[in-house]
Amino acid sequence: MSVLLLLGIAAAGILVGVTSAMFGVGGGIIMVPFMVLALDKTQHIAEGTSLLVIIPTAIVGVIFHRRRNLVDFPHAAAMAAGGTFGAYAGAAAALRLDGETLQVIFGGFLAVIALRTVRDGIRDMRSGSKSGSAT
Amino acid sequence: MVPLLTLFGGLTQHRAHATSLAAIIPIAAVSAGAFAAADQVDYAVAAALALGAIFGAPLGARIMAGAGEGALKTMFGLLLLVVSVQLLWS
Repeated sequence: MSVLLLLGIAAAGILVGVTSAMFGVGGGIIMVPFMVLALDKTQHIAEGTSLLVIIPTAIVGVIFHRRRNLVDFPHAAAMAAGGTFGAYAGAAAALRLDGETLQVIFGGFLAVIALRTVRDGIRDMRSGSKSGSAT
Repeated sequence: MVPLLTLFGGLTQHRAHATSLAAIIPIAAVSAGAFAAADQVDYAVAAALALGAIFGAPLGARIMAGAGEGALKTMFGLLLLVVSVQLLWS
């Protein structure tokens, strides 16, 4: 790969890092389509590669969040334990359903959560509260 | 994870984001290990992406810290909307 291409990928990585730390997500939402569409990688390689990138990205994000005392480690540990177990269970269940059904179910569920979150967020902004509601 | 933490964990939006990020580390590590074992990782691309990402992360953390609770929640909701549309449209 050319140096220019690597620099271009690193530039895309900056956006991944910003999104990851800002939203508490891995950044795969940007990386996977980027690798598939812009770099012509297979879906599997895009996913595997993005998962690897998430590790240092999230570590750096947590370091900076921790400095502001924003990380609740007990909750994080609980979610991580559940999450790693869920990854195995979820993979087993997912293999029994066809991909399209899964996407529609999850996409629909996520859309409901999304709309609710936006609604709550706008409500919080209107009320001008700084600490916000717990929903 | 973020909605779970705000809805059931009682965390503020900011803490939910930061906490979720911490939880993601071991989850991503385990999953990445599985993909690496199956030889489904492009290490050169990963290194280039990571190089940019570790510079972007502190910036993202600062932006998050400066955002109000409601604004952050709204932006997160919009991100979720983008993801759900991506899933439903493909």
